[in-house]
Amino acid sequence: MSISTPGGPERRPTVVSTGKKPAAGRPAAGAKPGAGKSATPRQTSGGKGKGPKKPIAPVKVSQGRAWGPIALWVAVGVLAAGIIGYGGWAVFEGSKPWEKRAAEIDGIVDYRAKDEKLVQGGQHQAGTIKYDINPPVAGPHNGAWQNCMGDVYDAPIASEHAVHSLEHGAVWITYRPDLPADQVAKLRNRVQGVEKTMLSPFEGLDKPISLQAWGYQLKVDNADDSRIDEFIKTLRVNASVEGPTALCNQGITATGTTPRDAGNMQQG
Amino acid sequence: MDAPSASEAGDGGRPARRFGLLAVASAVVVGLLLGYAGGLLTPTLTRPGDTSAEAGFARDMTTHHAQAVEMGLIAFQRGSDPEVRQIGGDIASGQQGEIGTMQTWLRSWGLDPTGSEPPMAWMPGGRAKVRNGLMPGMATPEQMAKLRAAQGRELDVLFLELMTDHHLGGIHMIQGILDAGSDEDVLRVAQTMKNTQQTDLINLQNALKRRGG
Repeated sequence: MSISTPGGPERRPTVVSTGKKPAAGRPAAGAKPGAGKSATPRQTSGGKGKGPKKPIAPVKVSQGRAWGPIALWVAVGVLAAGIIGYGGWAVFEGSKPWEKRAAEIDGIVDYRAKDEKLVQGGQHQAGTIKYDINPPVAGPHNGAWQNCMGDVYDAPIASEHAVHSLEHGAVWITYRPDLPADQVAKLRNRVQGVEKTMLSPFEGLDKPISLQAWGYQLKVDNADDSRIDEFIKTLRVNASVEGPTALCNQGITATGTTPRDAGNMQQG
Repeated sequence: MDAPSASEAGDGGRPARRFGLLAVASAVVVGLLLGYAGGLLTPTLTRPGDTSAEAGFARDMTTHHAQAVEMGLIAFQRGSDPEVRQIGGDIASGQQGEIGTMQTWLRSWGLDPTGSEPPMAWMPGGRAKVRNGLMPGMATPEQMAKLRAAQGRELDVLFLELMTDHHLGGIHMIQGILDAGSDEDVLRVAQTMKNTQQTDLINLQNALKRRGG
């Protein structure tokens, strides 16, 4: 071991030096053979009258040799960036957050972007509350929520309770009282048996149908509008302030636009 | 004298180095492509999709459970019999917890709580079992209104009857995912649900006999 180890270094320098010598001698001697492929034409062109400039030509050759790997690595880099970029984009597109998908629903109004304070939540308030947006989409509300277990209300309900339901993740579908019965039936089919939804007529609507989720509103003319399903799929539960386990049961099941005390929840 | 041998080394070395570079570069490209394809495939292979039986079950059983929670809380709050109140609270809290589990699945699978298919579409023959949007065993709005309005023994009996039907329908749906599902965690939780509801059923029936339903 001790003998062979010193023997190694002794041999290596000789190997390295023979390797280096031609490298150092490339400019001079390497011009003939090192040219092999690319330097041959240069040699002939430069060799006509410019014999002494042979040392420079090989230097150019070595530069030319470096371009190959650089181009290759640039190509690989661009390709890799493209692949990674496309992968990232595909993943991003595939799992777009619901907020982005909500923003893409044509005609939706995002009050979260308009009024941050309005959509904070948790502001319980007894008695009648005046809402600037009607039907309301967020803001202070009664301590009791409207039952939103797929409840179909055939008369207007108190907004003070309904807003609390929105906070719990419900989609509240409202329609103008003059909406034809067959249109109402189509809305009912979307609500019946589906917890975190409810349906009620709403006086004074400027459009036949208005959908509310916490911080969002979409008004449409027709119950066949596919945006209704889009709105429900995107915002039901997702728009909840309190998450998917916030209750929709144990709420007010009575109709009437005057809010009730929380103590009367089970009545009606 | 040295030059020929050096040129041989030089000529032999450089193409070899180029070839090595090319091999490494193509290996990197192939590796990236394989990794990308794997990354694309893995989620769809390991994660239930939007129309999978698992996702359908998680969504529909959440809805189904939500009504059991509603009935259970009514019994817990207003039942006249101590055991009825106890059963109501037990079922309500237990199923509310399971709702949390199922909703967490959906979120971790990158899926909405709301599906794009009709209820029960994930279960063979399931869609035909939905009436007015209600899945098997679910109480109608009229029955729920009756339960809310009921008092005393009438409430106890009505709750026990409605919850019995609810559990029978629920077990039917759970059997659906046990037959059609493949996600191990879903199957394990579904089996636990089935066991719980089957023992609940025995207790519901005994209480109903005792209350003279």
